[in-house]
Formats: sequence, structure tokens, C-alpha cells
Amino acid sequence: MISRKFATTLVLGSVALLATAQVWLSHIRYELSLETSRVQKEQNELKREMLQLNLELASLTRPERLRKIAQKELGMAPPLPMQVVRP
Amino acid sequence: MSRFDKSEQEKVFIRRRLEAITGLVAVGFLLLTIRAVDLHWLQADELQVMADKQRFRQFETVAPRGPILDTHGRTLSESIEVPSIAAIAREVPKAAIAKLADVLGITEKHLSNKLNRSQGFVWLARQVSPDTAEKVMALNIDGIRQESEWRRYHPLGPEIGHLLGFVGIDGHGLEGVERNFDEQLSGTPGIRLVRRDARGHSLPGGSWLKQPAKGKTVQLSLDSTIQSIAYAALADGIRQQNAKGGSVVVMRPRDGAIVAMANWPGFNPNSFGNHKPGEWRNRVITDVFEPGSTLKPFTIAAALDSGKWKPESRVFCEDGKYQVADHTIHDDHQEGWLNLSGLISRSSNIGVAKVALDIGSERLYNMLVEVGFERRSGIGLSGESPGIIPPIGRWGPIETANIAFGQGIAVTPLQLATAFCVLANGGNYVAPKLIADQETGRSHRVMPKKTASAIMAMLEAATAPEGTGNKAVPAGYRVAGKTGTAQKPSADGSYADDRFTAVFAGMAPADDPELVVIVVIDEPQKSIYGGQVAAPVFRNIVGTALPYLGISPTEHETPDWQVIKTALADDHNMASRSSLIRLSLREARKISSLRGIQLRAHGTGWITRQQPRSLDSLVAGDIVEVWLNE
Repeated sequence: MISRKFATTLVLGSVALLATAQVWLSHIRYELSLETSRVQKEQNELKREMLQLNLELASLTRPERLRKIAQKELGMAPPLPMQVVRP
Repeated sequence: MSRFDKSEQEKVFIRRRLEAITGLVAVGFLLLTIRAVDLHWLQADELQVMADKQRFRQFETVAPRGPILDTHGRTLSESIEVPSIAAIAREVPKAAIAKLADVLGITEKHLSNKLNRSQGFVWLARQVSPDTAEKVMALNIDGIRQESEWRRYHPLGPEIGHLLGFVGIDGHGLEGVERNFDEQLSGTPGIRLVRRDARGHSLPGGSWLKQPAKGKTVQLSLDSTIQSIAYAALADGIRQQNAKGGSVVVMRPRDGAIVAMANWPGFNPNSFGNHKPGEWRNRVITDVFEPGSTLKPFTIAAALDSGKWKPESRVFCEDGKYQVADHTIHDDHQEGWLNLSGLISRSSNIGVAKVALDIGSERLYNMLVEVGFERRSGIGLSGESPGIIPPIGRWGPIETANIAFGQGIAVTPLQLATAFCVLANGGNYVAPKLIADQETGRSHRVMPKKTASAIMAMLEAATAPEGTGNKAVPAGYRVAGKTGTAQKPSADGSYADDRFTAVFAGMAPADDPELVVIVVIDEPQKSIYGGQVAAPVFRNIVGTALPYLGISPTEHETPDWQVIKTALADDHNMASRSSLIRLSLREARKISSLRGIQLRAHGTGWITRQQPRSLDSLVAGDIVEVWLNE
């Protein structure tokens, strides 16, 4: 037969443990929410950066710019018929 | 009073007290029950909403607009998030206005006007650069806030402005593809529900009340490289002729795909506000012109179709002057007898008019309608003109004769391209399309393959050295095409003597056309003839686009009327160079072998460094070391 004192200690101990666990869980939840917000923000930033880089790539590789660089800086010109081969 | 009476009285008093307390407790419970019912039942919905407001937070997420891509997936139009500056007007201190106006780059008065417009939320500067936004926020002025908006960018700028159109500040398309495919491109904003803790921080989880949907991608059949080639060639041709403007449309005949569509002067959709609304018009589809001689192949096709005429049939061209009713038709060159092929290559108005009068107006009219004139192409862009063909009931001999050589009829460049695709497709009409994954449009036979082949042979002859279109042929390729020159109508309805439209319509390679190109030059000043003005533009486009498409030249002799600049200078110039910097390894090898020096190379790409710095001191057998860097 369990003594009344032991039973009381067990109940109080359990209550204290559960209360501590609750506080700890709440803390974990808070930390996780901060982490989630941070990661979501980072994800959005990366998406934004990707769009910008995509646009920058399109701008830097636009045919008119490449043509100017090829002709003016690299001295290139349209090939002769004999220089064209089927890729 | 007896002892018994006293005891009875106490008992009654105690009972009354108990009853009173019991009554009070009962009333208390009753009130609590009423309150509980009130809170949990009567006010439940309202209170639930209030509680949810505390626990949950809703926010709207803006979905970006979908991109527009070319046929290879290259970005033609994309939205990115940019900062905008807004304010709660009543909270902005007056003392800060001058400083704020300075950073925003507007006048103090202008800013004050904006702030006085409303007490609440007002936009101060929309879609500003990140630097400006950072400077404004660094001022830390009460009531000033930074918002995010999506801004549309078109990296190709003026080259493609007319086709793509642009997007207004509210994110909706106002012109071109942006406008006509707005529903598809626009994103749907989402609403997210997030749970908050007592301190207001978001808790993990959360749910979407409405999922945001990014706008769909619109992929065009357009090839941005060919678009750029076409725009550059057109701009060059117009500058050389000091012309007013011009248009080019390039189509792939087998599936009707529009590969390029350019107008000059171009307009930059990234700064559309700097251009007049008239300059936004995509003239390839909105403006009509008299096609002139480029319509002759269809008159000849109608004649061949009638069975009364054969390619070798001959017509007397009246030595340059021919009377139809009270109207005289002239030829630029006096011609005698010509067969049908000769009519095309010598471009005789009189010969073609006589053929048309012989087959009758109805046959000609039917042919023109069948190949796509007088109706909108249905590519999905608004503002498209159906062109003008006079009602068949009004065609007398003069009208029939004039329309036979492209006068008294008006078409759009796109319609002319579609019609030439019929010839390129062996007589099959294929509806033009602008969207890459769109199924090939309705297709039907307009003329027998034999007729189309005969016309193609005539068109190829028209670009031969003695033909009017000889300047349209790029070295190494066979071209079929027709030149055209038409007087422009003046305000009083007659023809202007000094204003012309020069046209070239053609396709290449002639034996299996990959591209159909229409070049229209508006009011050229140095020459008025399509063969002199528009044909060289065609040659530049086709000569650059075909190698790009992997179509090798079949003719290896360079015609003597063309001069091609080669990538490599001649051997003598190469050998006399003292530096190899910026050359390719192949060129460096050529120079070193010409001078008999040894070459040691490191890396790949272009030469960025060489040792020794000058080749001048080297003699045969010496070593030059080069470093290449991509």
C-alpha cells in the first residue's frame, strides 16, 4: 500500500515536472517561431535576389549588347559562307 | 417569555438566515448561469471574433506577375519587388518636409501638396531605387513608411517595346502582350493566417485562407536574338535612307510562328511615360500600307489557278504605257513581251494588270481573301487592322487592274507575311501564332502545290542578278522574294508625289523556306524603290539569322555585288601585329605560325597577357607565352 505522503509527493512532483515541461515547450515554441520567421524572410530575400539576377542576366546577355561587344571590343564580324557549318 | 419560546425564535431566525443566504447563493448561481449563457451562447460569435483577433493575425501577400519569355526561355519581361515611400500624412512633422523633399528629389511644395491631399495614407514616391528608400528611412521621420511594390522590367528595351507593351503602376498591362494576356500574367494575392503569442510574436504553423498564385508564364514564339537582328537591321536601313520609320515581321512558315516583330522608331517600355501614346502603337498589326508590287505573286497565282495561264504564257507589256478605261497605267521600265516569270522579275504593272483583267476580278478577290487579306489574323493582340480591300461589287476594270499590282488595297505587314507563308508552305495557309505552345492554327489549302512552286521559282528569279530584288540575297543562300514600291495617299485622297513606301517580302532558303521576312520602310528619302531600300534590310536579317538557326549556306561563291567583312583581317595585317592580347588561341596560332615563333598557351578563352609584351623583338624560333582567360 502506497503511503499518503509518497502519493502526495508523487502528485506534487508530477505537477512541478509538467509545469516545467510546459515552460520549456513554450520557450522552444517561441524560439522556433523566431527561427521560422527568419528562414521565411531569408527565403523571400533569396527569391527576390533570384528574380533580380534573372533580370540582370537577361539584361547582360541581350543580343544587342553582345553584338556591340563582339564587333567593337573583340573585332568580330559576320562569318563567310564557308565559315558556317551546321552545329 | 419561556425558555421554549426563546429557543423557537432562534431556530426561526437561523432558518430565515439560511434561507436568505441560500436565496442569495441561488440568485448568484442564476446570475452566473445567465452570464455564462450570455457569454457562451448569445455573445459567442462576437467574442470568438474578438479573441481570434487577439490570437490570430491575417496578412495579405502580393503575388508577382508572371514573366514573359521568348521561345528559348529567355526573359523578355519580369517583375521585381521595389521599395515605395508612403506616409500617414497627419503624423508627418512639418519641419521634416524640406529634408524629405530633398532626399526624394522633388520640390518642397510638391511634397506638401501630396501630404495635404489626405490626413491618412498617401503615396509620396512610388517604385524608387533601394538607395533612395534607405536614405529616406535613415531620416527616421514620424509617419513615413516603406512599402513594397512590384515593378515590371523589360530587359530588351526599345527592341521589343511595341510587341510587349507595358504595365501601369497598379500592376495591370496597358498595351501589347502585357495588356492582352493580363488575366494570365496577373497573380492572385494570398491571405495567410498566423497564430500569435501573448507578446505578439508569430507562432509556427499558420494556414493559408487563400493561397497566393503567381501569375502564369507567357512564352512567346518570338526569338529574342532574331528580334534583335531584325531591329538592328531595320534601324540601320532607316538611318541610311533617312526614312520616317519602318516595320519588320519575321515568320516561320511551317507553323505560322512569329519569330520577330519590330518597329522603328522603337519605344522603351521601361519608360513608356516619356513617349507619346501614338508611339506605343505596334504598327506591324495596326497600320496598313499599299503593298505595291509585292501583291503581284498572288495575281499570278490566281491566273495559274484559273487554268487559263501557264508560267511560260507571254503577255505584251505595251512598251510601258497602257490605257484602262480613262486611266493610264505606267511601268518604270518599258517592256515588250514577257512571260509570267518575267512579269514578276521585271515587275511589270501593265503585264500583271492585263492578266488580272483576263481572269476577272472575282478570281483575284478570292485569292486575296484566301491568303489572309481583309481579316484579322487572330494572334491575340488588340488593335489589329483587318486591312482594306474594296467590296467586290465596286471593282471595275480600273480597280481590278490597280489591285493586281497592289494599289487601291491596304494590308498590314503581318497579313503580307502570312500570305507569303502560303507560298512558302506549298500553297497551304497556316494561321500566324504568337504563343510558343499554342497549337498550330487552322490550316487549309489555298492553291495547288504546283502553283505555289511555280510562284516560288518566279520569286527566286526576281532576286537573281538581273531581277529587281537582287540586293536581297545574302552570300551563300538562295532567296525568293519580291520588291514593292507604293505611293502613299495624301490627305485629299489622291497619291502624294513625294511620299512612298518601299517594301520587300521574301523567304529563305528558297528551296525549303525557314523564314519569311517582310520589310516595310516608310518614306525613304534617298531612294524610293523597295529593291534599293528594303531589300538590303532583308539581306542583313536573313544573312545573320540563318547561320544562327544552324542553316548552312549552300552556295559558296561570294557574288560580286556584295562585300562581306570577315572576322579575321588578312594574313599580312595579322602577321604584323605586335600584341596577341584579346585574340583567340586560334588567331594567335595563326600569327605565330606566320612568323615562325613558338606559342605556349595557358588557360582557355581570350588572351589577356603575353610574355614578352611585344612580338617585335622576336625572331623565328623564339617563344611567346600567352595566358588566356574566359
